[in-house]
Amino acid sequence: MAKAQLLKQLCISLGKNNKPTYAVMTIAAVKGICRPAFTMMDKTEEPETKKYTALREGLTEVIAIPTYYALGEAAPKLAAKMPKELQTMAKKNLMFLGVCIAAVFAIPALCSIAIKPLMDKIQNNNKKSKSIDVNILSLMSAPQITSTGNPIIKPSRLSTFSSAKIITGMKVGGV
Amino acid sequence: MISAIQNVITSPAIASIAQNTNQALIVETTLKAIGRPGFILMDGDISKDTKKYAATKELLYQAICLLVYMTLVVPVFKRGAFKMAKNSKMFNKFDDAKALEKFKSADEVLNYHKLTERSPAEKQKAIKKDKYKSLHDDLLKNLTDTDKSEKYPLIKGVVELGNIVGSVLGLAILAPQVSHAIIHPALRFLRLEKKKEPEIMTENKLDIQI
Repeated sequence: MAKAQLLKQLCISLGKNNKPTYAVMTIAAVKGICRPAFTMMDKTEEPETKKYTALREGLTEVIAIPTYYALGEAAPKLAAKMPKELQTMAKKNLMFLGVCIAAVFAIPALCSIAIKPLMDKIQNNNKKSKSIDVNILSLMSAPQITSTGNPIIKPSRLSTFSSAKIITGMKVGGV
Repeated sequence: MISAIQNVITSPAIASIAQNTNQALIVETTLKAIGRPGFILMDGDISKDTKKYAATKELLYQAICLLVYMTLVVPVFKRGAFKMAKNSKMFNKFDDAKALEKFKSADEVLNYHKLTERSPAEKQKAIKKDKYKSLHDDLLKNLTDTDKSEKYPLIKGVVELGNIVGSVLGLAILAPQVSHAIIHPALRFLRLEKKKEPEIMTENKLDIQI
């Protein structure tokens, strides 16, 4: 019965005031979890590409959620300048306007500015930890020697995936 | 100019769109479908081909999202939530839920709610329209007799909850999967993308002996 009461309260609250931020923030949160998960499950892509794409998708939604919230909650404050009898209506409309501005302008702009430095930082950290692993391994194993007495040097496999992809414009689609 | 802006900001029509999850998301996705490709095309830092490719891809993605949302999610979840609530024994135990009998469909709930936000004069004018003529007598009485009509928040909330659940499943899970299947063939059809050729593994060639 407690669950029923909770559902009832949720429905009443949505019925009284269904803020546009509720739906967009829930969608962004679910996208932030599901899209990287789907990307990582894709068996046709290279592991490094998958990691890169999943990280980027996750970061996009991490930026989107607070942006929707900030603009959705900040815009209705402008309604205070309106006549009192119009304030309720103006608050609802300004919140919707804030959400639209976030979706069309603010999120793509913030993603363009923030994602590349964040990705570089995360990938540089990963590279540093990887290079330490390689050094330890090379110290531990003795080099193989050919019949002529020369050592065989096997460089690590060349990666064809460039982690320093040029990111321009906004994140495009979900694919 | 200022009064025009004030009229838009205080418009009851926009307020009813803002309070309706489906309509709000349809407007938002349409704006994204127009705005985002537009901004990509205006970007001066990338080549013409890249701009064309990225803008088309974004347009296709948003258009597919909109299509999936309007054809599948809106009717199924909005109507589904209303029918579920109507047939649910648990839900019908609540006193506020008894008014469910007065509504025939989820659309009727939303149309009625839209009218409750209007002024008495606007309500009188609107109820003469065909879509409101079939409203239950009690609902029509609510709209005509009182200045502040009963809004039945529980019933409106049920429909909105169904809309939110459907929107999340549709836009966050279903639409990206559908667009993943459609976008790349569509881009190849438009000659904006080439088919990937299988890579030849050359691992052994990289081993160098001194």
